[in-house]
Amino acid sequence: MRKTILLTVMLLIAVVSACYPTVDASSAVLGKPAPAFSLKDSNGKVHNLADFKGKYVVLEWVNYDCPFVKKHYDSGNMQKLQKEFTAKGVVWLSINSSAPGKQGNFPADKVNALIKEKNAAPTAYLFDTDGTVGKTYGAKTTPHMYIINPKGELIYMGGIDDKPSTDKADIAGARNHVRAALEEAMAGKAVSVSASQPYGCSVKY
Amino acid sequence: MGRLLLIIIVLFSATVSSAATPLHVEAELVSEVQTIKAGQPFWVALRMRMLPHWHTYWVNPGDSGLPTKIEWRLPEGFRAGSIQWPAPEKIDTPPLVAFGYSGEVFLLTEITPSTELEAGKPFTISAKADWLVCREECIPETAQLLLTLNSSDTPPLADPKWESAFRKTRLRLPASLPDWNLTASLAGDSILLTFRKPPDFRGSLSNIIFYSEVPGIIDYNTPQRLTETEQGFTLQLKRSEYSTDMPKEIRGVLVNPTGWDSEHISMSILAPISTASALATTVPPASGSIWLALALAFLGGVILNLMPCVLPVLSIKILDFVKQAGESRAWKHGLMFTLGVLVSFWLLAATLLLLRAGGEELGWGFQLQSPTFLVILSHVLFLLGLNLFGVFEMGTSLMGAGSSIGRSGWFSSFMSGALATIVATPCTGPFMGSALGFAMTQPAWSSMFIFTSLAMGMASPYLLLSSIPGLMRYIPRPGAWMESFKQFMGFLMMATVVWLAWVLGVQLGIDATAGLLAGFVVASLAAWVYGRWGNLAQTTLTRRIALAIAFTLSAIGLTISLYATYGSTAQNGIEWQAYSPELISRLQTEGRPVFIDFTAAWCLSCQVNERITFSSDEVKKELKRRNVVTVKADWTSRDEKITKALAEFGRNGVPLYVIYSGRPGDSPRVLPEVITPSILLEELRKL
Repeated sequence: MRKTILLTVMLLIAVVSACYPTVDASSAVLGKPAPAFSLKDSNGKVHNLADFKGKYVVLEWVNYDCPFVKKHYDSGNMQKLQKEFTAKGVVWLSINSSAPGKQGNFPADKVNALIKEKNAAPTAYLFDTDGTVGKTYGAKTTPHMYIINPKGELIYMGGIDDKPSTDKADIAGARNHVRAALEEAMAGKAVSVSASQPYGCSVKY
Repeated sequence: MGRLLLIIIVLFSATVSSAATPLHVEAELVSEVQTIKAGQPFWVALRMRMLPHWHTYWVNPGDSGLPTKIEWRLPEGFRAGSIQWPAPEKIDTPPLVAFGYSGEVFLLTEITPSTELEAGKPFTISAKADWLVCREECIPETAQLLLTLNSSDTPPLADPKWESAFRKTRLRLPASLPDWNLTASLAGDSILLTFRKPPDFRGSLSNIIFYSEVPGIIDYNTPQRLTETEQGFTLQLKRSEYSTDMPKEIRGVLVNPTGWDSEHISMSILAPISTASALATTVPPASGSIWLALALAFLGGVILNLMPCVLPVLSIKILDFVKQAGESRAWKHGLMFTLGVLVSFWLLAATLLLLRAGGEELGWGFQLQSPTFLVILSHVLFLLGLNLFGVFEMGTSLMGAGSSIGRSGWFSSFMSGALATIVATPCTGPFMGSALGFAMTQPAWSSMFIFTSLAMGMASPYLLLSSIPGLMRYIPRPGAWMESFKQFMGFLMMATVVWLAWVLGVQLGIDATAGLLAGFVVASLAAWVYGRWGNLAQTTLTRRIALAIAFTLSAIGLTISLYATYGSTAQNGIEWQAYSPELISRLQTEGRPVFIDFTAAWCLSCQVNERITFSSDEVKKELKRRNVVTVKADWTSRDEKITKALAEFGRNGVPLYVIYSGRPGDSPRVLPEVITPSILLEELRKL
């Protein structure tokens, strides 16, 4: 019987261990802590996601040369959203994951000039040139939006709105998922649309 | 007369690119017919020609992009249908995937003219087409297109200029192919497409891909795995992390590049997604009726005892009861057994709930999806089977009938409860499916209650039997029948083992099953050594040595079986095509380099060669880099064509490895019978 006992114990261990997937803390899952990162901004300052604990954080994957991004900047839609919510204490991080030599990869001074020209108002513009953070979050498109709550949990991921197009005229009739999610969460309500298919240009990894 | 008038006006889009930028797509409207007739539908196409390396998108663009849109402006009384999308190409830019078209594409639309159409007059169809065209960067473009057609009283004639383009495009349009009996179901975080081969299908299924027409339903990056099951074939699609709602239906196309039949490569799919498990035979309890679920779970637990995988283990327990009959402390053993069942059920349920909380969608029996677990479980059951047959005895438990049952005896009662639970997991009895299905929709605490109820159900017969001494009287007296009974139960155990070996085979193929069986041979050697020299009749030293040898051998056996499960995935990454002389001659006219592996399952040296050579990453890379078509000529069963091909190379057996360079005039090169990665690499580099 001893051997049976031994085998049974082994088997019990095997049940638990063989079936446990390697828990991947480094991917973006709704309702789970958002993966940590630390990136340099266009002014040379390093930002750590953990620094913003206690605040809502919006991550916006950006590539100023992408027509989908242009739709939201040329219309002033994105800037409006940035100003409205940074004024309410939300941290807005624009992240660029374009690899060197690819579309949307600009040096820091060019980025600052573009931000000024567009009258954009992110808290910071972060460089993710090797694409590590983009791939960790699973950022597919520009724009691709993520919202993190004050507890550091991911509460929204996906498209900026529900009208996938490059046409500025579509903005007026669209449901802005980011605004809706932030307003709901800040009012203490559950986020009604917590994920939506992102649309845009591919991230230029 | 009757000549097609074609006017194209192309306007440059100025939204993004400056007006001076030329379009990356040449677009025009073309008609299949030369003239149109009142009320008679005809087909037009938006013909798009992309610059090299640029592509436009399918109805679902994939991870990025935008589908082409057409807005029609038609003469009064005309109607336009929706775009008929040909099967897309997969555009891979890791880690992203898009679906679209490069080169040239015809997007077909059916137009129905007014029923009151004056003959001999020109009618102009106008369309505004919008598309996004991408290489690395993306550019939205727009064109205003016009097409003028004359009406006529005579039946419309096809326009010879576009006839073949329309015909070729239709070959790529999704076709309804009910013969394949496709159904869709939800399994955890996967959507399974299950279908059956029609009896007359002779083609290959190795490169099929499903494209979802609806964005955000499936994840495009996860490889789609095709497995053959008893129901037919199952294609596993991973659900997109962006689909938070349960998808109700799946809509898209299933593309087989080598064809579903002689005419179609694209099968249109529109299937409701069923969530009901095939095992749930009873009606699921209405939501909120946790009491019903608890009752069903209890009943299911009782019945679980009769399932073929549990019965042998429990029969051992029954034999224990028989021996303990009349003993005052029997109820304590019953209690310990129950506790063993309970604790292991809790452990299983906790693991399950924990994993589900982590986002995994798992169900009862989830651990059997792990090949590692399957191998370990079947080894344990195999050894138990040998034990029941009497190849070896374990300790003294079945000999000194209940003379001194101490604490270790209680522990062994506890452990046999745990063992019973583990062997029970492959089985699902009646009522259980719906109870567990309900459990999974409930909060964690009520799921735990349902699992507890299931465990109590399973343990109840023993608890009852051991706590009411009066019942013991109805149990037969101990005797020689016990040995025969035990041995008979060994056969049930072996049947379970056979079933598990089959499951492993379905998951990983025949090699994994063969590895498992080879491991059994070594494990049974261990059992024999222990039974022959590890019994109480031997001296202590002999027994210890025997135990050490047996332990080592069983570990080796297990390692062999486990190794085979890893080995059988090592060859993935090479796509083999089945041999046919037509395929080879076609590839030769195309100028593609070809590698042919003449092999057979029963040819040991072939298997060794393949294991060593094709698991090498360098070989895989080189094959891919040189665009070599890998063809397998499988001679496992009699095959005239392969026998003939072998004869052409002066052979009458396998292995035989042949490389065609693809250059006209080159004769094929025959490789040595024993190949290594370096030999093959050297040959490939000569290409």
